[in-house]
Amino acid sequence: MIITKAKEKGDVVATLKDVKSVFLIGCSECASLCGTGSPEALAAMKETLEAEGKKVTGSMMAKTGCQVLGTKVELKPAKEEIDAADAILVMSCGAGTQAMVEVFKDKRVYPANDTTFLGNMTRFQQFDERCSMCGECIIDKTGGICPVTTCPKGILNGPCGGTNNGMCEVSPDIECAWAKIYARMERTGELDKMREIVPPKDYSKKLSPKVWVIEKKKEEK
Amino acid sequence: MKKFKEALESGEFTITAECGPPKGTDIEEMLSHAKHLLGKVHGINVTDNQSAVVRIGSLGVCRLLSEMGHDPIFQLTCRDRNRLAIQSDLMGAHILGIKNVLCMTGDHVSAGDHKTAKPVYDFESVQLLQCVGKLNSGTDWEGNAMKGATNLYQGAVVTPESNPLEPQMLKFEKKIKAGANFFQTQAIYDMDNFKRFMDRARKHDVKVLAGILLLKNAGMANFLNKFVPGITVPQELIDKLKAAGKEGALDAGMDIAAEQVRIIKEQGLADGAHVMAIGLEDKVPDILQRAGIA
Repeated sequence: MIITKAKEKGDVVATLKDVKSVFLIGCSECASLCGTGSPEALAAMKETLEAEGKKVTGSMMAKTGCQVLGTKVELKPAKEEIDAADAILVMSCGAGTQAMVEVFKDKRVYPANDTTFLGNMTRFQQFDERCSMCGECIIDKTGGICPVTTCPKGILNGPCGGTNNGMCEVSPDIECAWAKIYARMERTGELDKMREIVPPKDYSKKLSPKVWVIEKKKEEK
Repeated sequence: MKKFKEALESGEFTITAECGPPKGTDIEEMLSHAKHLLGKVHGINVTDNQSAVVRIGSLGVCRLLSEMGHDPIFQLTCRDRNRLAIQSDLMGAHILGIKNVLCMTGDHVSAGDHKTAKPVYDFESVQLLQCVGKLNSGTDWEGNAMKGATNLYQGAVVTPESNPLEPQMLKFEKKIKAGANFFQTQAIYDMDNFKRFMDRARKHDVKVLAGILLLKNAGMANFLNKFVPGITVPQELIDKLKAAGKEGALDAGMDIAAEQVRIIKEQGLADGAHVMAIGLEDKVPDILQRAGIA
């Protein structure tokens, strides 16, 4: 899922400096699990903004905020509340926020969150980054553990000199990706694969902005 | 005195030292230290924004040392350059008369003085070694023909005290496969550990220079043990430095370094020694003399 962190209250208030009234949009997907776009987060935001003298005209929980057309339909019943607001504050990820930018052509739309990474939920409300969406998965060669993501240097061919009793020199909280990869490939009997030199990444696969269209399969008759 | 590659390939016990360019354009002190080393070392490494701290670029400093009469070893990291910049710097090194390049991934920006910088790591050390091989053969990384190849003697680094060691050894072998001609090791202090490492390294056709890091005092030794991965200073050496007192610590450290160089040379443990004095390069000739190397 997409991991978001709530911006500091002061930063959100500063963003809304020139705005008197706000409509809030949350998201039932990732941002709810992160607690940054859940009904509770929306209620807390309402309270914060009202304490700052802003009028909150209403709020809406999008089912999947990055789904542009679906969210547009969900917003229809709230038309009056939205019309009454100077700005929309979106409490989801950057994709959800920009979905609303697309929907509201002439209205100010602002983010309430910082979007940080693609995360695995490893415990309740603990998220770990395992994949950085490089567009060219190589974990078949690295024991199923991604060094592009879990090694701060993204090294593809083994540990650097900074591996420190199995931990990373960058932070004592990070396990050395290559110590883990080696241990796992030893267990799975794949160490020979680790001897092969892995070429540099093809960064053209990571070129932004990306568009991906799944073509409808024609039924074969 | 033979040049670095010539000495190493001839089987002569090869000595290299290391210079860290300063932050700022006043380079006089570094150059004066380097002058002390003329005729004493076969090669001299020039670090590349060492510890991810911004300093004068290694390429320009290599050229100055080359003009002084040194045979510089151009340290090149992948932290600050993508594959285009790496290749243009390698070609630049060639036309500036630099013959040796040490290929490294590079300390992470989080270790340095520009912690908000974007780390590059488009390549890493193994791929950088391969890249030097390609440029030496007359094509760029993508295989496009070059008008004039480079002629660079490429080497790499290895950490014999790395923990765990096995993944490090596997990478060591990859670096050899990728074209490393020589290795300069991270600082080593425990000779038995180093012997065990060399027993394995000797199975490969590659030259190894043992990393000797001058201990200035017991505090530095403790700092290395605590904060620098892959370096272990045995308690026995720390006790020696302590016993020497504040005044005598540096002298004791020089003795320790000299003794290490002497043992490595006499016992043929490695093909040479890479003496790192971190700002005290003027002490290196004295260390070499104490080691019995004229």
